[in-house]
Amino acid sequence: MSSLQRRYHGVVRFHLIFTAIILLLGTSCAEPYLGVKIPFVATWGGATIGCSSADIALSDLRFYVSEIEFTDDRGRAFALGLHDDLQWQQADLALIDLEDGEGGCDNGTREVFAYLVGSLPPGDYKGLQFTVGVPFARNHANPLMARTPLDDPAMHWHWRSGYKFLRAGIRTPSDSFWIHVGSAGCEGTVRDISGCRFPNRIAVELEDFSPGQDAIAVNLKALLAGTGLTDGVPSDCSSGPPETSCVAPFAALGIDFESGQRSGQQNVFSVRQ
Amino acid sequence: MKAVVLVLGAIVMLAIAAWWLTGENNYEWQLSPDYPLPRVPTDNAMSAAKVELGRWLFYDTRLSGNKTMSCASCHIQVLAFTDGKSRAIGSTGEVHPRASMSLVNIAYASRLTWANPLLDRLEDQALTPLLGDDPVEMGLGGQVEDFSALLRSESRYKKLTRQAFSDDRDPFSLLNGVRAISAFVRTIVSFESPYDHYMNGDDDALSSAALRGMELFFSERLECFHCHGGFNFTDSTTHASANVEQVGYHNTGLYNLDGNGAYPSDNTGLYDMTGERRDTGRFKAPSLRNVAVTAPYMHDGSVATLSEVIRHYERGGRLIEEGDHAGDGRLSPFKSEFVRGFELTNDERQDLTEFLESLTDAQVLSDEQFSNPFSN
Repeated sequence: MSSLQRRYHGVVRFHLIFTAIILLLGTSCAEPYLGVKIPFVATWGGATIGCSSADIALSDLRFYVSEIEFTDDRGRAFALGLHDDLQWQQADLALIDLEDGEGGCDNGTREVFAYLVGSLPPGDYKGLQFTVGVPFARNHANPLMARTPLDDPAMHWHWRSGYKFLRAGIRTPSDSFWIHVGSAGCEGTVRDISGCRFPNRIAVELEDFSPGQDAIAVNLKALLAGTGLTDGVPSDCSSGPPETSCVAPFAALGIDFESGQRSGQQNVFSVRQ
Repeated sequence: MKAVVLVLGAIVMLAIAAWWLTGENNYEWQLSPDYPLPRVPTDNAMSAAKVELGRWLFYDTRLSGNKTMSCASCHIQVLAFTDGKSRAIGSTGEVHPRASMSLVNIAYASRLTWANPLLDRLEDQALTPLLGDDPVEMGLGGQVEDFSALLRSESRYKKLTRQAFSDDRDPFSLLNGVRAISAFVRTIVSFESPYDHYMNGDDDALSSAALRGMELFFSERLECFHCHGGFNFTDSTTHASANVEQVGYHNTGLYNLDGNGAYPSDNTGLYDMTGERRDTGRFKAPSLRNVAVTAPYMHDGSVATLSEVIRHYERGGRLIEEGDHAGDGRLSPFKSEFVRGFELTNDERQDLTEFLESLTDAQVLSDEQFSNPFSN
């Protein structure tokens, strides 16, 4: 058992105790917080896929989620407070990792972090929105001093100064495509970044998400439509300005590749009932 | 009141004594007073223990994912810490788009690597070759815990790490390993070339041909010194008491793929970082110290010899007649105004070459304190 796994089991145990305390407290409070779990699944169109799927398989799928808000039936927004005792979560930031290091994901990790866990005031929630990205200050802090889940070297982009907000990839028997999305065109120096021309953060807005019932599908087919995945030549996109291979997947993520700004609705993340 | 002052005084003196005894400030730069001291980050002070730790780590192949490669695999001392390849090759065989750069006098670089304006500290730069996965260089990414275990378990590393980071409760971290490697690399300083000896008063250190070459190098006719100027022969230079930060990136007309100045897409220079088209093909002017032993040349090693480099600047840009990279770099709209071209006689070409050869510091290429400690 690796020390990472030991740590993982340790925090799960701690988490159970923590949850029990919350539940006990909840019984005595007038308005207890609701525990909310938001699962994520990787899909190709409608079908669930993983690293070892036949034919079309994941080669990678990891991303940071932040600024998570539910909207209630009166249009009021409530931030989801994440349980920061879990290895993949801070109070307002989490790493979702849907690859298991098997099959085509041989550069990945065995740990899978497939859901967010947090608390919300009770209410009738209809909408869910979040950002795939790391907030600016933490994005440009020293990664060797960062707290989990920002201490994962595979998610940091040392030469660009900042994290890969999303790393995703698909392998087919005859081709492959991978994409790394993160802020580019940053200015200043690594310890003192003043801003980035291409923030490249992904805004996700989902209507009719029922906490406790629904999951979020991450549709790689939608992400990679319009790329050269079927041309037999392995290709990639790493958020660099010369890469025309980035234009289509960025559009699918709701980002205008030329400006790095939000251009419209993304169509990769959707509600799965 | 008097007692308070005495107690405070005693505390301050004890603190100073402790600071000295822990070896946090016991590194002495062996530099003549004529040369400036390198800039050292305040959170990574130099110490003899740290430098020694860094030297072992620099040469240790256990710092790569498959244990085949150390920092020194691409930074070989006799080649002024370059690797003689046109493009570096990582531990898994992946070819890097760019050539390994010399580490000599890297402590004076205001920016690191060929074209990354964000990187001004070795401690930050080192993370890319160690952990990067596109391309894989050393490929340590999934094994950071193994690195900590190495520092903790091997007696040499355990002792040196404790000594070098005596204030840390858990000093066996990648952060401290990177600090130590950076401290070692900062000590690779070269000011003992024939050119330096000449500048320090030894009139016989340079041949008359090299002296004529020096005149040419520093002339407005050739313009070499505009980008390769200063004590370190690059305009991206800084030091401990520098008032102005010099950073320069230049398009030297190596490529012009489409007539509009395009560079090969895997190597667009500063443009890759900034997204500004005018930054296409702009790369840092590397230091010319030891340039005679760092072939092949340019960011992608696409110029094989020093005489071809001189021909390139004579023409004011490179003409590639056919193939994927065909185009006339001389006509690039992004080319530096200092790369205008000039004419040289054969004798002048020879003189200039001799001057460039006089920048080789034989001592730094063989100095034992920078050599592989595992083979000693």
